[in-house]
Amino acid sequence: MASRSSVLLRPPAFRGVGRSILLTLPIALWSLLMFMPSFQQAGRDRHISALLVILFMTTLFFLMMRTGETYRWRRIFFVALGFLFPFGFIAALVAERGTMSIPISRMVSGDTPFCFMVTPSIILPAAFARTIIFPGSILPTASNPHSIAVMIGVWFAMTLVLGKAWCSYACFFGGIEEGFAAFAKRRRLHRFVTKYGSILRLIPWAILVFVVLLSAAIFEPVYCMWLCPFKAVTEFPAVRNVETAIQMGIFVALFVGLVVVLPYLTKKRTQCGFFCPFGAFQSLFNKINLFEIRFNREKCVDCTLCQTSCPTVALSKESIRDGKTLLNCMKCGACVDVCKKDAAVWHLKGTAVAVKPERARLLFLYGAWALATMFGGSILAGSVATIVGFLPWK
Amino acid sequence: MRTRILSILAYTGAGLTLLVAVCVPFVLIQGFSNAVAHAGLHIDAVYSGGTVARTIERDGYRILVYQPVQPRLLERIEPFVQIVFEPADALPARVSDEIDLDGDGRPDVRVSFNLPADPNAPLRGDVTALNATYISLTNQGGESFSRMAVRTGNKIVVRVPLNRGPSRR
Repeated sequence: MASRSSVLLRPPAFRGVGRSILLTLPIALWSLLMFMPSFQQAGRDRHISALLVILFMTTLFFLMMRTGETYRWRRIFFVALGFLFPFGFIAALVAERGTMSIPISRMVSGDTPFCFMVTPSIILPAAFARTIIFPGSILPTASNPHSIAVMIGVWFAMTLVLGKAWCSYACFFGGIEEGFAAFAKRRRLHRFVTKYGSILRLIPWAILVFVVLLSAAIFEPVYCMWLCPFKAVTEFPAVRNVETAIQMGIFVALFVGLVVVLPYLTKKRTQCGFFCPFGAFQSLFNKINLFEIRFNREKCVDCTLCQTSCPTVALSKESIRDGKTLLNCMKCGACVDVCKKDAAVWHLKGTAVAVKPERARLLFLYGAWALATMFGGSILAGSVATIVGFLPWK
Repeated sequence: MRTRILSILAYTGAGLTLLVAVCVPFVLIQGFSNAVAHAGLHIDAVYSGGTVARTIERDGYRILVYQPVQPRLLERIEPFVQIVFEPADALPARVSDEIDLDGDGRPDVRVSFNLPADPNAPLRGDVTALNATYISLTNQGGESFSRMAVRTGNKIVVRVPLNRGPSRR
């Protein structure tokens, strides 16, 4: 909805085709570089999927340049990532072991792929007992290339560039709820979300503190074992007793409630905004990230369109009055795109607000899209290759 | 003047951020991964089984006996000791071994299981405790981290629960 209204107000072409192509060229070359290894490997499925993903990512970036809109095109990538990741992941699991559940034998053999969501839970035991409370392996193995060292390396390197924008350019889970939020025609429960937004956005912090402390106390990854909604669409501990059956029930209930139903009703990313402890943890990196969204108070008319459009309730009336977003802003660009007065702008910390917002946007987008192509793009390519492999004429 | 300096610093920082982004797939991921790999961390003994205490050689295969794992203060597991039979493909169809777990020269448990021909078939085993330190298991599969008999790759992992005593971790 946000993008539609902004399309009506902006000139149809923010930039000419030639300049847009020129600005897209670095991303096109980067995409080719990132997927070069796929073309060197055997297998037509891989080649087709790599080519499709290169075209997909480059086209979306071109459209960002051409229209001046960020959120609308980023969302297409992000929803594709959110829906295709579980598809590829589940297909790989079923092909390998015939089930989505993790038997205890795989946990003790260190074959569980590491998920970045567990990162906050493992920090205290790692720091004080040098122990990783996760059933993976520290170094990559033939049966588990997604080892703890590799995945933490990926996460930390990308976080240096993206900060909290990880949640809108890299997280392969957030796109699922963003997709369900996009399906909804109208926004329900809006008054409730606005009224209790200040409380709701504190919940992820409370869960973060709870999960980190309890994980350190009982030496278990509490979020993974009990609270992760995305276990329902990836892998989960095999149901072998009452406790694991309850865990499975919680995963499914949280997934249906926070990732499907509430996003559809509210048009918000409710799991990300009101639950995810990793998102809260990631917010801390916004402090060291140079890019942000600011509000030009001279242009702002306090219409609150930006507040309504924000998918994670990262804006309040007070923050808009102060010309800033809240700490949990994930730089998706929804508020900038929806603003009719061009008061919401991309900003580089240390520079004057609203002086060269497009330059700040470009500097941010080049880094963010390059990493989205590298990380999300490779996940998309893997899933697309799986789909191509299923095609009946093959 | 201050505004100008800040602005120059900001654009320098933005340029560096872009440089970091370019370095992510080529240098940084590997660099941070190596840092984690060499940080002296280890996987919790509940999952890894802990450290190997001794190796017992048998005819064609060997048995690794691990140090007992005791739960920390609030940890929700029973104390256990892990035994690994490897390589699994060298094991006889029926294994029944008396094993000295504490190194005193006397057997502490008898571990018995039939090795399924299909490596993916579920394994079930029996553990008979030969003294009061250990708890016997009957027809055990992979039901809990402290009580198990499972196949992982080319190994058979058996975990024998201990009767709670003074901490040995």
